[in-house]
Amino acid sequence: MTNHAMLIDLTQCVGCHFCEAACQANKGLPADTQLVTLRFNEFTGEADAFSQEMGRKQCMHCVKPACASACTVGALRKTADGPVVYDAARCIGCRYCMYACPFQVPAFQWDRTLGLINKCDMCADRLAAGEQPACAAACPTGAILFGERDALLEEARQRIMKAPDRYVHYIYGEREAGGTSVLYLSDTPFAELGFPEVGYESPAHANEEVMHATPTVAAGMMLALTGIYWTVKRRNELMHRHPIDFEVEEAEHVAENR
Amino acid sequence: MWQRIGKEIRTMPWGVWALAALMVFGLSVALYRLYAGLAVTTNLNDGYPWGLWIGFDLFMVAFSGGAFTLAAIVYVFQMHEFHPAVRPTVLTGLVGYGSVLVILVMDLGRWDRFYHFILFPNINSALFEVSWCILLYTLVLISEFSPVVCQKFGWEQLGCFMKKIALPLVIVGVTLSTLHQSSLGSLFVVMSERLHPLWYTPFIPVMFFVSSVAAGLAMVIGGATVSRWVFKRTLPRNLVAELGWFLPWVLGFYLILKVGELLAAGELGLLAANDFYSTLFLAELAIGVVAPLILFSFAAMRRNRNWALFGAVLVLIGIFINRFSVTWWALKPIEGYFYFPSWQEIAIQVGVLSGAVLVYTLVGRYLPLFEGTVDVERAVRISKGAPAAQPAGD
Repeated sequence: MTNHAMLIDLTQCVGCHFCEAACQANKGLPADTQLVTLRFNEFTGEADAFSQEMGRKQCMHCVKPACASACTVGALRKTADGPVVYDAARCIGCRYCMYACPFQVPAFQWDRTLGLINKCDMCADRLAAGEQPACAAACPTGAILFGERDALLEEARQRIMKAPDRYVHYIYGEREAGGTSVLYLSDTPFAELGFPEVGYESPAHANEEVMHATPTVAAGMMLALTGIYWTVKRRNELMHRHPIDFEVEEAEHVAENR
Repeated sequence: MWQRIGKEIRTMPWGVWALAALMVFGLSVALYRLYAGLAVTTNLNDGYPWGLWIGFDLFMVAFSGGAFTLAAIVYVFQMHEFHPAVRPTVLTGLVGYGSVLVILVMDLGRWDRFYHFILFPNINSALFEVSWCILLYTLVLISEFSPVVCQKFGWEQLGCFMKKIALPLVIVGVTLSTLHQSSLGSLFVVMSERLHPLWYTPFIPVMFFVSSVAAGLAMVIGGATVSRWVFKRTLPRNLVAELGWFLPWVLGFYLILKVGELLAAGELGLLAANDFYSTLFLAELAIGVVAPLILFSFAAMRRNRNWALFGAVLVLIGIFINRFSVTWWALKPIEGYFYFPSWQEIAIQVGVLSGAVLVYTLVGRYLPLFEGTVDVERAVRISKGAPAAQPAGD
């Protein structure tokens, strides 16, 4: 199965917001809800090129997603063909995924009586039908390239090599949080565009290492407690006294000596 | 019968009425929250999806840690002299966990699906482990407390049976507590990008566990003095002093863990930053760890009820600061987001806590909660050198 990914070349983005509109139309979202957000960065302020000023935020579709590791009920899941999908029928709205995500992507439906999570699923239904995601299909400049992850990484490297003056020499998403299936190229340092600086290891790793210690801790604790119980009991028996009497006398002894 | 109930209600102290009023108000707001959703009733947002409620849940679970700590001391280590404290402490744990469960449901977006964690397990999720352990441990606490109810209503066979299985129950209970006290810390292991490095460490579950033992001991020590005021019943002073003897060891170990982790991670320099985070971190250690560590190191302080209460409160303030740091104050801010609890969040929290105290008070009035504890006059006599507590039968 193909490991689908998206390469977004921000130098080709003209900020038309077609991707946002296509996403909303495809998912039938209300006007104030977006799974993809373009962010206009005024502070870079070079008026001759829109492309220098666009940031973008959507689910990064991590290779090893922290949200899926954290989700209480397993409503978030990385599929074999790339997308991190969300099962709204399972979700209990605990919002742990929002803290787990190193990119602060999942958003909550605060204004609903029974709120759920909003998150891009790379149009998993369209992928299954052999189409590309709605945002990629809608982009008029071809800034959103859809394809296989390794091929897109190679394409990104080629673009940087061919125009080393045009790009910052960095593929955002190649290694962030253990690698993501959404990759970015830019001519402006990513930090200036509002992309978070994220470590190269997926937070899911540390989490799962700790969580997998659970059975050992449980078994060890049970054994230790039982062992301590028998040891103390035996000690008391060896003193040829009823354990309660012994403890009381000891307590009195302590009290007298104070 | 009805006359008697009427008389009991008329003679109820005013404090009970105040608690009931706060509880009813809080629960009304809670019903409104369930109906109206989180946006209308809380200030939670996409930058701070958890707030006051989760902070209090973490604090209350640590506070209720007295139940498993004392159960281990009495049943596993067989220091039976502490037995009189078991019933009040188990009840405190029970109402504590009860309040946590109510608030957790308040916090869920889909509160109507609260049982989904049973149907759809994700064994990698710390919150999944926490949910299961808290559910099971609440059942254990109910079982541990059941002999009190059986005694009151004369169900001797059931009571005897529950006492017979006390030891396995305690072992399972202490194990479940170890798991969820620590996995409440594990919640934050995945939050490496959000939690400030002074607090973030993969060893945070160990720190949560150790600090919950300290909080639990502090709860029993402080509770002995508070119940002396409220119920005129208390533990003999030498028992309070002996419980206090454990605290410097636990707090000392916690201090070594906290500072040692910074040392090992090479983050000790962050303490010298003299910013909000370093102040917060040092405040927790100074108020909640170092000060009570010194205080409880002196036998005279441990034996003085007021000093012991003061020290216990310091420990609990430290735990409060720690748990609210990791859920709120020590999170790296996200541009455009700010959180401070709404009045509805506070009203619901106060209401649920009032309900917990109310339940405790009523149980203390009507059930044989303080068997083996001494009334205040006897406590005075004992502290003047008379024999120590009589061991309870169970």
